[in-house]
Amino acid sequence: MSDPRTPLLKVRDLSVTFGTKRHPVSAVAGISFDVYEGETLGLVGESGCGKSTTGKAIMRIVEPTGGTVELEGRDITTEKGRALRQLRTRLQMIFQDPISSLNPRRRVKDIVAEPLDCWKSVTGDERERLVQDLLSKVGIDPLVYGNRYARQFSGGQCQRISIARSLAMRPKLLICDEMVSALDVSVQAQILNLLEDLKNEYGLTLLFIAHDLAVVKNVSDRVAVMYLGKICEIGPSDTLYEDPEHPYTKFLLGAALEADVDSPVHGDVLEGEPPSPLNPPSGCRFRTRCPNATEKCASEEPLLQEIAPGHQVACHYPLRTLARR
Amino acid sequence: MSDRLLEVRDLATTFATAGGPLPAVGGVSFDLNQNETLGIVGESGSGKTVLSRTIMGLQPRTNVTVSGSARLNGFEVVGASEEAKRGIWGTEVAMVFQDPMTSLNPVMRIGKQIDEVLRVRLGMDKAAAKARAIELLELVGIPSPVERYRAYPGQLSGGMRQRVVIAIALACSPKLLMADEPTTGLDVTIQAQILNLLDRLKSQLQMSVILVTHDLGVVATRTSRIIVMYAGRVVETGSTRDVFQNHRMPYTRALLESSPKVASHSHTRLQAIPGRPPNLMKLTAGCAFAPRCAYATERCHRERPELTAAEGPGHAFACWNPLPTTRGAS
Ligand SMILES: Nc1ncnc2c1ncn2[C@@H]1O[C@H](COP(=O)(O)OP(=O)(O)O)[C@@H](O)[C@H]1O
Ligand SMILES: Nc1ncnc2c1ncn2[C@@H]1O[C@H](COP(=O)(O)OP(=O)(O)O)[C@@H](O)[C@H]1O
Ligand code: SF4
Ligand code: SF4
Ligand SMILES: [Mg+2]
Ligand SMILES: [Mg+2]
Repeated sequence: MSDPRTPLLKVRDLSVTFGTKRHPVSAVAGISFDVYEGETLGLVGESGCGKSTTGKAIMRIVEPTGGTVELEGRDITTEKGRALRQLRTRLQMIFQDPISSLNPRRRVKDIVAEPLDCWKSVTGDERERLVQDLLSKVGIDPLVYGNRYARQFSGGQCQRISIARSLAMRPKLLICDEMVSALDVSVQAQILNLLEDLKNEYGLTLLFIAHDLAVVKNVSDRVAVMYLGKICEIGPSDTLYEDPEHPYTKFLLGAALEADVDSPVHGDVLEGEPPSPLNPPSGCRFRTRCPNATEKCASEEPLLQEIAPGHQVACHYPLRTLARR
Repeated sequence: MSDRLLEVRDLATTFATAGGPLPAVGGVSFDLNQNETLGIVGESGSGKTVLSRTIMGLQPRTNVTVSGSARLNGFEVVGASEEAKRGIWGTEVAMVFQDPMTSLNPVMRIGKQIDEVLRVRLGMDKAAAKARAIELLELVGIPSPVERYRAYPGQLSGGMRQRVVIAIALACSPKLLMADEPTTGLDVTIQAQILNLLDRLKSQLQMSVILVTHDLGVVATRTSRIIVMYAGRVVETGSTRDVFQNHRMPYTRALLESSPKVASHSHTRLQAIPGRPPNLMKLTAGCAFAPRCAYATERCHRERPELTAAEGPGHAFACWNPLPTTRGAS
């Protein structure tokens, strides 16, 4: 890779297979990418393509069936016991359903302090001060709301509390899985702006997983597009959205609905639905829906290849190359 | 007017709850013409679903008070008996909900579910109903309809199930199709397929469509007129173009500006709306948006603005301090 920066997170050939030996579900099928320090890498794709599984495998909430995940040079997939737990404090994950991911019967300040209590890393006074600081940072007045129970909060406020908790151990990498998908647009904008501010303030690196293309573009420096357990394309956000090279990326962007009366009325709609991960197509996994597919696409898997600095695509016939011919 | 299909006047729906009366819809008026597609947009809790269900006459029997009028092709829905309403459901108006599983019976083959409607409502015999059901499955773009006729809902994807629900809604050729968040929760490519399908069916079958959604992107290119709701009321209405490009009510603008755009550069700062929608049980006498509005003045907190006509055809907004018009500016 031509990027001179060293990656904070280095994912190589990561795979996760669910199901049984006879009926394996290939949810993540050998994906590789880097996340550089201080950047936000967006991960988009339609439901079932393996985004959450990727996030969980990095966290080892699900066990990878193959590949490596290096955080600051240490392979998370081989660590055990205390070393693993310690490494895990360096990464945190925030989930979609803000209400169910917080214990409704606990007080807000105890929820935020959970990671601190778990590591017994601070004294009582320090704990109090840290929690107050974190809650203030996410826009929740600790003196007014700190003693209330999580069930008394709206979705947006719960998501603020989740963010505060995730920051308690000062993680390096934050994995956000559909964290604003359940929120209304007005609240979603508040949370996205908050995330941008905290990212700068805490020097965070983000892996931002979502199915909403506009949301992902808004927060990401680079974006990776997944389809059926594979990465189709990775590139700088603006380039990838303006000049997608993979046919699937192009269809996905074409289907996105823009809140604009003059946005083009969608002509090219991707037909059909993704095949089952129980029985993925040979060669290129997108070939059953791709208008450009040839015999080569059925027999040979396209590998992720760099076609411009920092822009990689897994397609035998990248679109701009095709256009030039 | 002869081509008017639906007339809604001062329609209000209030639930009696343990905490007191909850005015979910607080006096809504609008008209819908034949072959028109109207969008109803607003954040969750703004009363879109309750409004749609009230227009359909679908309300819980207890704890609800409905006032005002909703005339569908001359039939007054408000106060009508269940039996009278059953006469218009399916033939005059049909509804598609967000979650197709709420409308489908999970243990009954989908073909049977369509057959049943055709036989009970249209008095078709078994063979005719089956033939028509397969035709309907084909109409809504279900591949291999003859085989799928025998499938159970659980064997279909979310997008396919929504197509089945649409097929059932169309079984008795309704004049008005109400689609409440029909694509929410579906993937973008499937969403585009379903919205294109609704567009096609609307022209093919000469229906009117009410598209209810929290997503401005869904209505931007698929409706001719829009109603924007906030806290149970219409705060702005007009042609889709006027609402998007010449909105006068600050909430409409705030809603448009707070959503991220695919066309904007990454890291564009979003214009978030502070706070959140009001508790409907604690509404004040003023404008419901006042606590969040950057333009609020003293009067806004005291007195609620009524809908006021703007220049555009059918364009009206409810605001004491409207944004300047952009008409004639470009
Ligand atoms: N615990 C599990 N057991 C079996 N299959 C799973 C499990 N979790 C996810 N899957 C399957 O793996 C695939 C990828 O799922 P997921 O990572 O949740 O996708 P996404 O987050 O992109 O929607 C899907 O086909 C899903 O059904
Ligand atoms: N059966 C009911 N009893 C009491 N309150 C209800 C009932 N149905 C809806 N509501 C309330 O009415 C308001 C409007 O809800 P709804 O129409 O579903 O909003 P939207 O569809 O715009 O998200 C909400 O505050 C909701 O909690
Ligand atoms: S490799 Fe072939 S099938 Fe796959 S996206 Fe490229 S052209 Fe289409
Ligand atoms: S009436 Fe006042 S508070 Fe309401 S939208 Fe207009 S300016 Fe804002
Ligand atoms: Mg997911
Ligand atoms: Mg609703």
